[in-house]
Amino acid sequence: MVKIESLREEAKNLLKEGKVKYIIGYESGPNGLLPKPIFIKKPEEVEKLIWDPTCVFNLTRFLADEKRRKAKEKQPDQRPVGVIAKGCDSRAIVILLQEKFINRNDVYILGVSCEKEGVLDERKLARKLKNRKPKKVEFGEKDNFIVTTEEGKIEIPAKELLADRCLECKANFPVIYDVLIGEKTQRDGEKPFKALEKIESLSQEEKWNFWKEELSKCIRCYACRSVCPMCYCDECVVDTINFAVTADTSAEEKAQKIKWIDKSPVSSENFVYHLVRAIHLAGRCVDCGECERACPLEIPLRLLNKKMEKEAKELFGYEVGMDPTQPSLVSSFKDEDPEDFIR
Amino acid sequence: MSEEFEPKIVAFLCKWCSSAGSDLAGVSRMEYPPNVVPIQVMCSGSVSPLYIFSALNKGADGVLVSGCHPGDCHYIKGNMYARRRLALVKKLLEHVGLEPERFQMSWVSAAEGTKYTQIIKDLVKEIKLLGPQTKLRRNL
Repeated sequence: MVKIESLREEAKNLLKEGKVKYIIGYESGPNGLLPKPIFIKKPEEVEKLIWDPTCVFNLTRFLADEKRRKAKEKQPDQRPVGVIAKGCDSRAIVILLQEKFINRNDVYILGVSCEKEGVLDERKLARKLKNRKPKKVEFGEKDNFIVTTEEGKIEIPAKELLADRCLECKANFPVIYDVLIGEKTQRDGEKPFKALEKIESLSQEEKWNFWKEELSKCIRCYACRSVCPMCYCDECVVDTINFAVTADTSAEEKAQKIKWIDKSPVSSENFVYHLVRAIHLAGRCVDCGECERACPLEIPLRLLNKKMEKEAKELFGYEVGMDPTQPSLVSSFKDEDPEDFIR
Repeated sequence: MSEEFEPKIVAFLCKWCSSAGSDLAGVSRMEYPPNVVPIQVMCSGSVSPLYIFSALNKGADGVLVSGCHPGDCHYIKGNMYARRRLALVKKLLEHVGLEPERFQMSWVSAAEGTKYTQIIKDLVKEIKLLGPQTKLRRNL
């Protein structure tokens, strides 16, 4: 069992000793259920920290923002930033380290092991509770969650509420950390890549129809991009911000500027956007499930990224986010990489 | 009278091998279908997956990426990176339901004019059977 007191104690000491600039953690949210991220700068604020099955967010997203902020400062505070990381979040840090986007001494990782459980899927909970409003979710004694509603407490088996990615999680403990809270225990989950089974059994035409229906829903709000810890590019291919049309812009210049992907949320453009995102996340996606959670239209984006993870494993024997010293998937190769598809 | 469907194929050919191979096919007066739009790139490793998606998006019925044989790359290992990256692209396109024949990759050296014409002939034949590509085509 992860004790919140030990997490708070650890955070308090770090802030007191001035080892970290601030700590990114979870605090209970305004509507009672989902928490919100909190940036703790003072030791007395650590009491606000929480740890329960609703801590779904991947806080490593803020490390990219922190890097940008630091780059603008004249005399930046060189101390590391403390961040609370679950298993999946820690793998995201591994990728950032692999890509040398951040340095190891820029971040102080307070690893939290998910132990027997994981985090819940808000939508699954809502479906389970029907119209009752959950107020609080806690870890139970044995593989269950205790949900507090207005009508009292209910115990629900964890398996029914866990997010899909938690069910398939390959390492439910941080792979990299400075302090570890909780124990490294392997949970017996479902088979890895189980979510893909259904779609892989479909024919090409059925696959197309499935994706067409799903991706046509996309309104291109880019929530998936905003929430992704790996989408840290300064400029994105779908944005046209780098092409300022002024009074002096000639028709020729406008015509010559390549518009890779149109802004209109039509099926064909949505496809290109999501394909590009999937390929950019190949060998980088740590399966934190944030894109799918953030999507207002419930597009199963995880299936795209998971497929890439599976191919990386099957074709190239590449495990995503386990070793910071490993080169990234597409910036390395092996002589024995498959080439049976090449004529 | 209905005209037979003539596919449009975009071929990204690397400057050092495949492009020279297609030149050889040309100067040797070998016959092959005129459905290919060749685009010379410096290396097959410089072909971004976006180029492929974009070609399909802008109306190509098929895409071919061709580079030097492994070990012959002018930039030592560009084609090795391409091989890994484009294997993923191929799997991804299949995953979303595009016919796998629409995206192909080949190794053609500067001396393989015949191989180049053969690849194009096969590709055109396969894509003719599939018909026009409308799945990813821009439809605003």
